[in-house]
Amino acid sequence: MSGPLPLGIPAIDEVLRGGLLPGALHEIAAPGEPHIAAAAGFALGLAGHDGKRRTVFWIVEEIAIAENGAPHGAGLYAFGLAPERLVMVSVAHRRDLLWAMEEALRSRAVGVVFGEMRGGRIDEVAVRRLSLAAADSGALAFLLRATPPSDASTAATRWIVGAVPSVISQCPGAPRFVAHLVRNRYGPLGSWILEWSDSDERFILATHAQPVAAPALNRSHRQVA
Amino acid sequence: MLSLWLRRLSTDRIARLHKVSPPFRNAGRGERALVVTGRRGNAEVLTAINDSAERLGLAPGFALAQARAMHPGIDAAPEDAGADAALLESIADWCLRYTPLVACDSPDGLLLDISGCAHLYGGERELVADLSGRLEDAGFAYSLAIAGTIGAAWAAARYGEPASYAGGEELALLAPLPLSALRLPPATVAGLARVGLKRIGDIVDLPRAPLTARFGSEVLRQLDRALSYEQEPLTPRLPVAPYVAEQRFPEPIARKEDVLAITARLARRLQFALERRGDGARRIELTLFRADGVVRRIAAGTSRPLRNPDDIRALFVERLAALCDAFDPGFGFDMARLSVIVAEPCPSEQIGIVGGEDAAELCRLVDRLSARLDARRVRRLTAQDSHIPELAEAVLPAQVVNGDAGWNAFRQYREQANLPPRPLRLLARPEPIEAVAEVPDGPPLRFRWRRALHEVIAAEGPERIEGAWWSEHGGPARDYFRVEDKSGLRFWLFRAGLYRDLAQGAAAPSWFLHGTFA
Repeated sequence: MSGPLPLGIPAIDEVLRGGLLPGALHEIAAPGEPHIAAAAGFALGLAGHDGKRRTVFWIVEEIAIAENGAPHGAGLYAFGLAPERLVMVSVAHRRDLLWAMEEALRSRAVGVVFGEMRGGRIDEVAVRRLSLAAADSGALAFLLRATPPSDASTAATRWIVGAVPSVISQCPGAPRFVAHLVRNRYGPLGSWILEWSDSDERFILATHAQPVAAPALNRSHRQVA
Repeated sequence: MLSLWLRRLSTDRIARLHKVSPPFRNAGRGERALVVTGRRGNAEVLTAINDSAERLGLAPGFALAQARAMHPGIDAAPEDAGADAALLESIADWCLRYTPLVACDSPDGLLLDISGCAHLYGGERELVADLSGRLEDAGFAYSLAIAGTIGAAWAAARYGEPASYAGGEELALLAPLPLSALRLPPATVAGLARVGLKRIGDIVDLPRAPLTARFGSEVLRQLDRALSYEQEPLTPRLPVAPYVAEQRFPEPIARKEDVLAITARLARRLQFALERRGDGARRIELTLFRADGVVRRIAAGTSRPLRNPDDIRALFVERLAALCDAFDPGFGFDMARLSVIVAEPCPSEQIGIVGGEDAAELCRLVDRLSARLDARRVRRLTAQDSHIPELAEAVLPAQVVNGDAGWNAFRQYREQANLPPRPLRLLARPEPIEAVAEVPDGPPLRFRWRRALHEVIAAEGPERIEGAWWSEHGGPARDYFRVEDKSGLRFWLFRAGLYRDLAQGAAAPSWFLHGTFA
């Protein structure tokens, strides 16, 4: 199994002990249904480095596609995912979602698996099974959730990710996220405002949207704890 | 060629509905007279009758009122051509156990091409004995005949001795039969009868030119076909599979494990045939014949030509799991057949090529998911040759998509055209929103989508995308904007229609939301 996948941001890589752990399940929840695109974009960005070579599976509940739209190839491209590497699976039941995720995770041909669900709880045993399947194959597994979960997590990390304003001189700028790390297998948590850099295909710490008037040394706005 | 005539199809169907137990049904005496009626012109007439009704002197074509007056005790049921046809189809399915070449001979007959198949049963007589036994058990009145041509078999089944065999003696068989046995229209038969030609033997030696001049070419064509002077093709109901393996069981099997084991064994047999011709299976069908006559056909598609029996078995593991209760083995299956419906040339396995193993593994996974969930649920994105966002991409079953699916062309286009950002998620269809804009052609100040109000703090655009002006369904031009609301959500909106076109009588522009950005 390969080592952790660094995000290239020292503050986060330190908290995660080197980066995002492959062969593990990561939960990424949106603070509310409208933010699901942001959460998905964040997950794609995290996966981007590993998902380059191998196939990506995106398994999603039908109702979520009807509600929030289907992944759009040209948009995925901006997050470093080549659309021809994507296999989309739409399922009718949560049971099928978990089954298909596990099947995909157990396959050696798959690099990254996204499972997307709308609200509701998820069986702890199922999450454990997914973690084990990911650990077996070394694939990266993401569980995308449209609402912040209330259940205890057995995933390696859990993030709550929403969109934040990105305005640069009256125009929307690069995609910007606020990411709260609310569970981490190694302990430390944190919150950051990140920006996706299209040209470098990686996240960078965002300078705050508001004009910065504080002294250069006091950069408390970079830690939104 | 075997022609099967189910002479009481309609009444047998109704009798089966009423669950008359078959062994006693044909006892004859106890059976009630049953007639099937339908409207012909302005009268309610009998369209089919059973044996008891025939013994009472009734015949198809009688008015129902007349029949009722003669015999008040008869049962009458309305005709249902659809149900008759469905029953005939299911009998045709069931006949697949004898030969893959089965054709429906509507309304009440079947044609089976049994050449090369009869020896599996030990000969034609044994095959006929098996077929008759099963039809009697199921409660069907039938008559059948085997002959060298479709025409001769058809004539013998309906007008000749029951269960006749004529190999090469079609002329002797046909000569004494009436001319209507030649599948001619009634008007032609009546015309021939007027000049004294009643039996097939009467016209065989007549000069051909005057006969054609007077009665049309159909008479001699049917005669030639029956006597095998002219070929008549059989049109099978189902496409004939290029590769077939089958297995009969002395004792019916019912457990899923047994069905899978037999599938793997049949697949192993097919493997040799496929390898010899360098083919692989793209679509495979497992046909299970239930002991009580119900036929189950379970098909599975593959994303690359398959030969490996283990892979084929794995497909059916998922198909059977997806069927769940619908599998229903009843009293068990007494025959199984595995057919490759679509085959494709498949290069021999290359071992040790980097990446090849991963690709094969991926195909296996896609096949497994498709078999369980349905092929339409496991899809890939393909880039299409269109500038209209909802048509620019198509999601197609992953089993049929291969190669780069048009994305290389898309990449080139993106570089050249300097394409503005596209949303991460696109709604299935643009959703109408209520938007307020500062200036008519500008971006909206605020808009309401799904009952939530969004205050726009920044907007980028417009990106104008023309409608398909060459088509009458093309729709107006769209001005797309990338907007961001107060909470940081980023949307892709467009205004359909331009204000400057209002003067020319175009509809007022309206706003839509088409997608969301990360």
